[in-house]
Amino acid sequence: MISAVRRSLDRFLGRGEASITVPVMDGPFRPNSLLETAPVLRELPDIDNIVRFAGDLLCSCGDSLVRLPEEPSGESQIMDRLPAPVTCLASGSGDALAVGLDGKGILIRGGKHDGLFIGTANGQPLNCPSASFFVDDDTLVVANGSAHRPMADWKADLMDLGSSGSVLRIDLPTGNAKCLASGLAFPNGLALAMDGAVIVTEAWHHRILRIGNATPTVLAENLPGYPGRIVRASSGGYWLAFFAVRNQLIEFVLRERAYCREMMEAVPSQYWIAPDLRSGGSFSEPLQGGAVKQMGILKPWAPTRSYGLVVRCDESMRVVSSYHSRAGGRMHGVTALCDDSGGVLVAVKGDGKIVRLSETGKALS
Amino acid sequence: MAWSKAFVRFRYHYLPDHVIGELLAKRWMDNLIPFASLVLVIAIFYPFVPDLFAAGQLSNLGRQFAEFGLVTLGLAIVMLSGGIDLSVGSVFAVSVLVGLICVNVWELPIWQAFIAVIAVGAGCGLINGFAIGYLRLRAFLTTLVTLVIFRSLYEFVIIDYSTAIVANMVDSDLWDFLGVGAVAGVPFSLIITLTIAFIWHIVLSRMRPGWRLQAVGGARRSAYNAGINVRRTVCGAYVWSGLLTALAGFLFAARLGSTGSDTGVGLEIQALTAVVLGGISLGGGRGSVAKAAMGSIFVLILTNSLITLGIGGAVSSLILGVVLIVAVYVDVRWLKNRHKLLNKVYVSPTYAGLGPAMDTSANSASPFAVNDKLRNVEIIGCGLIEGPEDVILDREGNLYCGNRHGDIIRFSGPDFADPEVIAHVGGHPLGLAFDPTGNLLVCIGGMGLYQVSPDRVVSKLTDETNRSLFSVIDDSRLRLADDLDVAPDGRVFFSEATIRYEMHDWAVDALESRGNGRIICYDPRTGRTRTEIRGLVFPNGICMASDGQSFFFAESWACRVSRYWFDGPKKGQVERVLENLPGYPDNINRASDGCYWVALLGMRSPALDVALRRPGFRRRMARRVAQDNWIFPNINTGCVAKFSEQGEILESLWDLGGENHPMITSMREHKGYLYLGGIYNNRIGRYRIPGADPNWCSLDDRGSPT
Repeated sequence: MISAVRRSLDRFLGRGEASITVPVMDGPFRPNSLLETAPVLRELPDIDNIVRFAGDLLCSCGDSLVRLPEEPSGESQIMDRLPAPVTCLASGSGDALAVGLDGKGILIRGGKHDGLFIGTANGQPLNCPSASFFVDDDTLVVANGSAHRPMADWKADLMDLGSSGSVLRIDLPTGNAKCLASGLAFPNGLALAMDGAVIVTEAWHHRILRIGNATPTVLAENLPGYPGRIVRASSGGYWLAFFAVRNQLIEFVLRERAYCREMMEAVPSQYWIAPDLRSGGSFSEPLQGGAVKQMGILKPWAPTRSYGLVVRCDESMRVVSSYHSRAGGRMHGVTALCDDSGGVLVAVKGDGKIVRLSETGKALS
Repeated sequence: MAWSKAFVRFRYHYLPDHVIGELLAKRWMDNLIPFASLVLVIAIFYPFVPDLFAAGQLSNLGRQFAEFGLVTLGLAIVMLSGGIDLSVGSVFAVSVLVGLICVNVWELPIWQAFIAVIAVGAGCGLINGFAIGYLRLRAFLTTLVTLVIFRSLYEFVIIDYSTAIVANMVDSDLWDFLGVGAVAGVPFSLIITLTIAFIWHIVLSRMRPGWRLQAVGGARRSAYNAGINVRRTVCGAYVWSGLLTALAGFLFAARLGSTGSDTGVGLEIQALTAVVLGGISLGGGRGSVAKAAMGSIFVLILTNSLITLGIGGAVSSLILGVVLIVAVYVDVRWLKNRHKLLNKVYVSPTYAGLGPAMDTSANSASPFAVNDKLRNVEIIGCGLIEGPEDVILDREGNLYCGNRHGDIIRFSGPDFADPEVIAHVGGHPLGLAFDPTGNLLVCIGGMGLYQVSPDRVVSKLTDETNRSLFSVIDDSRLRLADDLDVAPDGRVFFSEATIRYEMHDWAVDALESRGNGRIICYDPRTGRTRTEIRGLVFPNGICMASDGQSFFFAESWACRVSRYWFDGPKKGQVERVLENLPGYPDNINRASDGCYWVALLGMRSPALDVALRRPGFRRRMARRVAQDNWIFPNINTGCVAKFSEQGEILESLWDLGGENHPMITSMREHKGYLYLGGIYNNRIGRYRIPGADPNWCSLDDRGSPT
């Protein structure tokens, strides 16, 4: 009773749960243009995932797997086409590769379990495999972003305040799955911690969880963006990608349920007031007051629905440094990372590019 | 669902919630709290106190108010100057004593006694004023000390004279009239006080000394920098306080004819309560005579009622103290939060459902199908000009435009190389037009309608119109004159986009989408300005039609263009010409082939269209979300369209990426070219119109009766 009263009071006054404050980009998040000016290695429209595979780089662009030779001059070659858009890639020992297929499940190619397809786990369809990694040859950890929607509908999941994601540990020989965590708000990145625990990014809750043996603990929360993929850095710590940053108007719309529902019904999803991997292409997109061009110039600190952000975290998931591509930039919508001794390879899906970031030299503690 | 939508539409149509913000923006809203407290105290005591408003009581209250009101007024003047006067109680007592000694003991004529009392009061005030104004002592401490000193003097003197005062009762009609006389039932002393209060109201609200006083109280340093003699002003405030208090004492002496040891004791607290309760700020600079009066009546009704109810002096003082504390609290909170509240409630969106927008997809057959015709426009003056909302060319081919610094700029043809400032007006020049005699008429956002003559003399044509009867906001001033055109008979019709926002906030009006704008007519023959059409949704471009009896006007946020007849058989009628445009129409101008150009300053976005049907959503957004984050009409992309007089869209010109020419607010055809302006641009565009008449000049094609 009291909590109901408090909630409606909060909603009226815009406090508590109804508050729409967004953490400011300050401290280690202080904006720069390191991502914006990073050297572009390749231009690949629609590039989504990037992993090391048998000495080369392997990417996914839509439903195709593309092999990239290490040297930049080498021709990229389409290795395979799959029946659905690829949502995630994970390479195991030898030539084992786990490929997430949107709306379908996980396909294993090569290695001991070549050709194995996992469409359901624990009786639940694996319709939104958003990240995965091999623990060993026989064990795969998979994040299912949403129980109801495929990856392509991620925006709808956010606008519906979806929290039906789960993390599963699948024993490949038997096909048995163990649910490590469920009820997650779009888990979108997985990494293995030093001590064997699983690190999960929970995008819609802007936080990072650690799943050990007991209940999940929060490693980082109240992040200024939607955390996506996370990878271990060979020099210790983690690289973390944000596929979009939070925005006060979007936070407000998320709390205006009636408006939000009507918008989702009446408006095509690319024109929603919602984060996106790339924005500013059409005049039908919503525009915020601060993003009005003055004298032909868009301010880099203008409110924006898309952004490019990669951060470097230490072992305890504290953010150490960040790499930005701000409003009006050309490196928006980072969806995948791949550790690259002393740096990281970044798949910028919004703008179809692969860039390389180097450590900024700040000491990791 | 349909029902709830209909309800929303109905509710926002008939409940004028924008009035709340407009009321809060009024200065006199500060009176609301004292007035409400006054009503409250009357409501509380009326049932308990018998004959609170009986004739005898009222006359008694009037006499008390005459004296107490003067003291309060004096204190209010001091507090307006940023100080405080605690010595009023003692000065009052001393004045009463001096008055009685002069009249009763020394038996001086009344006018001499009057001069003596006033002199003593002014002298006491001068001591305070000199110490505080010139010696720069703290007002609180100084007047606390003089409170004690004057009181001690009173105690000294009264010992010698108390019996003499009581023994010698003077017999003077004037003296009695001052004390108990009445004119037409109104106590004479009350008439004196009301006259003085009225004079002070005029001084404080309409005269230089009053403004200076409040300037000193509001910001001492700024007042000093503005050249006001701060010391003399402060000193004067205390002298006036002493003087008015002495007058109150004189009236008191005339009424009661005696004095005791408790005369004036605690008066300073009563007066202070009255002043603070009235809403006169303790910090100085804010207050009025009316507030002081309301506060005094409150305190008098409260104390009188408590006495009538038999509540003792100690409890009465306690209650008064509590009231003072509450008043101080409210004063502080109100001062601090009023602007915050105003900011939150001023933006008041209304229901604005728009029809489905015309198709703009590139491969459709729609006349608005996007294209890249403007991708290769020539650029004029890139980086040399900021914010040319409108452009116009004269017969010699020189180009004129305004900029956001308030200049009128000329680019000499035919190469348009060197911009030259031909006049500085101020504001933000928007719409431009030439009148038949070659004067350049300019609508200036923030100022009004101006004229620049060929010899560069700037003159104001009009900056006000008739005020509407029921508008809370003062709509007689022009806030955002936008675009204009000249009728064949010389009348100037111009639009005022909104009466609720200033120039720099024009886009916020889109969030409201209410009919805040109007079209105004200026007649140069009579010099009169009259509002022609009211309640338009951001009226923007205006262009005379070919019949010379009507003009087209654009309503930006309603996405439509209408035609209005100002003369002829259809006089006064409005007809829709274009509706459901895919963007927000801005300026309209004639084309060489008898059609009309209209600029779309921005495009509709479907998410905003949904929000326009939800006023509550936009209102909450305006309250909670920072202004830079509000959803806006997409004014980063615009286009130009051509329409016929029958309302048919013929073609559209786009620069889709907005790279070469972002946003377009106006266009002007001249000798085969189309010149493009944009309010947030740093350039002017020039587009060659295929097949257009290379000799056509818009000045030679005025709408004329056919």
